[in-house]
Amino acid sequence: MLKVKKILLEVAVIFLGGIALYFATSHNAFMYQQPILQVTAVENGKTSVTKDEFSNRDEQTTQRLTGRILNGSSKGEKYTFSNTYTKSGGIDQKFHVGQQLFVNLYHQKGRTSVSVSTYKRDTYFAILVWIMLCLLLLVMKIKGLRALGSVLFNFILFILIVQLDVNWNITSFFAIFACSALIFTALTLVWILGWNKQCLITLEAIVIGTALAFAICIFAMWITNDQGMHYEALDFATQQPKQLFLAASVIGLLGTVMDAATDIVSTLFEMKRRQPQVGFKRLYSSGKQVGKSIMGPLVNVLLLIFFAETFTLAILYFRTGNSIGYTFSWTMSLGLVQSLISGIGITLVIPTASFLAAITLGRTEK
Amino acid sequence: MTTISLLTIILAVLMVISGGRRGAISFVSLLLNFTLLFLTVILIAGGLPVLPVTFLAAVCILAITIYLGNTDEVETNVAFLATLTVLVLMLLLIVPLDHLAQIHGFSNEESEEIEAFNLAIGVNFEEIALTTTLLSTLGAIAEAAIAVASGMAEIIRQTATEGDSELRKSGRNIGLQIMGMTFNTLFFGMFGGNLALFILLYKLHASFGYYLNSKIFVGETFLVLYSAIAVILVIWLTIEFMIIKAHKMKQSK
Repeated sequence: MLKVKKILLEVAVIFLGGIALYFATSHNAFMYQQPILQVTAVENGKTSVTKDEFSNRDEQTTQRLTGRILNGSSKGEKYTFSNTYTKSGGIDQKFHVGQQLFVNLYHQKGRTSVSVSTYKRDTYFAILVWIMLCLLLLVMKIKGLRALGSVLFNFILFILIVQLDVNWNITSFFAIFACSALIFTALTLVWILGWNKQCLITLEAIVIGTALAFAICIFAMWITNDQGMHYEALDFATQQPKQLFLAASVIGLLGTVMDAATDIVSTLFEMKRRQPQVGFKRLYSSGKQVGKSIMGPLVNVLLLIFFAETFTLAILYFRTGNSIGYTFSWTMSLGLVQSLISGIGITLVIPTASFLAAITLGRTEK
Repeated sequence: MTTISLLTIILAVLMVISGGRRGAISFVSLLLNFTLLFLTVILIAGGLPVLPVTFLAAVCILAITIYLGNTDEVETNVAFLATLTVLVLMLLLIVPLDHLAQIHGFSNEESEEIEAFNLAIGVNFEEIALTTTLLSTLGAIAEAAIAVASGMAEIIRQTATEGDSELRKSGRNIGLQIMGMTFNTLFFGMFGGNLALFILLYKLHASFGYYLNSKIFVGETFLVLYSAIAVILVIWLTIEFMIIKAHKMKQSK
């Protein structure tokens, strides 16, 4: 009976919390500086069919929108403006009554023109975060929050490093990111494992594995003379593209190497705890055994993450008459190289972590 | 030789050296998955219905990742069942939420990259966003499911007498460790992929409100959040399925 009551209470808290969050975030316009407009009326115009040179058919519609400003100095004022959207919705969007939009108001010669800057998404953002938090608490209890804490902590550090990079604006910014990524790793490990021998060995293995993998990658790039690497295809690059790409690769590499190293070292420490008489040889081969079983899935995780990021762009390339080879080299190759580098890191950290853990644990026994 | 082919060869050699036969199988599964992903893009670009193609590709990728390289039948079946269930549950979550949040297609920040293109290409970008989201979570859930299932199978084998609550507790401990690391892998993966974007956003003096509302940032964060939710769900389901399986195995003995 008590258990049923507890479950009912949990469900009630989750639902009420979600509803409260929805209500709060859809009435928070007063917290924003930029004017927010709520659409009150929509009048859809005529739809015209478009066709491009690759015979892709699409539909284009212009709608007249009327809306009321919810915040700031123009609060309560009504404006009418138009919006054009396509059926496929590549970069535009169809608006409906009740939606809230961030707008820019331009006052010119007594007239005001409105341009939409972005759709208001914070409500759905908050709801998704809420769903994740509730699930985390339900499944993993309070300990789950600790895992989340380390991610949040890393995020804040990361933003600070980006600030440093932009403010200092030095040419060899790769060093900043490489060092700070290393510091992230160390802090995350201390957060999860605590400051002890296990943490130290894991960190050593990570540093050696990452450095080796990165050296191999640089060597491969040098020997092949960067053939087929289109650094200029990197999105949003505002600094030197190759350095930026390498910095991004090191961050991805450290993440996966950390995953593999932690798995191996903690398994070996656990083994030593259960059977104190176990020696170097057994430990080393067990470490490699763990490595073998996690290697495949881990490399696949990265492949899927990187591939998914390029998916939309690849579709656009294919639909506009580009060949397979061209699409591959301009949309996917950089992401693929990143996952290859991480894969190399995983294969190198398996023997390194097994060896370091085995030699330390095997020695302390004597 | 291009850099990419040299790196692929290096990876293949290292995987075989460090993993032996299983390493070779892992490399084959990587190649198969890549081929499948590439095929999915081509089929969808060719105009085939997005959702069925995505679902089929997702099931194949899960099967390849889970069954290739893992031999234990009980573990793999439980892991596969759990990941399939999560796939369906995630669809139920992603479809409405992606529609409400409108994060499909390209953002204004990307307009420079795509200015040479006419975007009226007659595909449904909303469905493509769904494909992107589903595919990016697959790897993480397959890894977590296999790890929890094999960890619990080991415990069941060693200590046949443990009760449900004990088993659930050990499953949760294994899951917790895997989750913590998977979160970090996802996080580093996301920032590794979006480092340039963050630098750009900071240079544009983006406000806090911008981070909470812009299509590009919300879209990328949604990917990570969906993956996190999928991983938590798959750990939970794998634990419960494994307990049911343990009951069945006891009865058959």
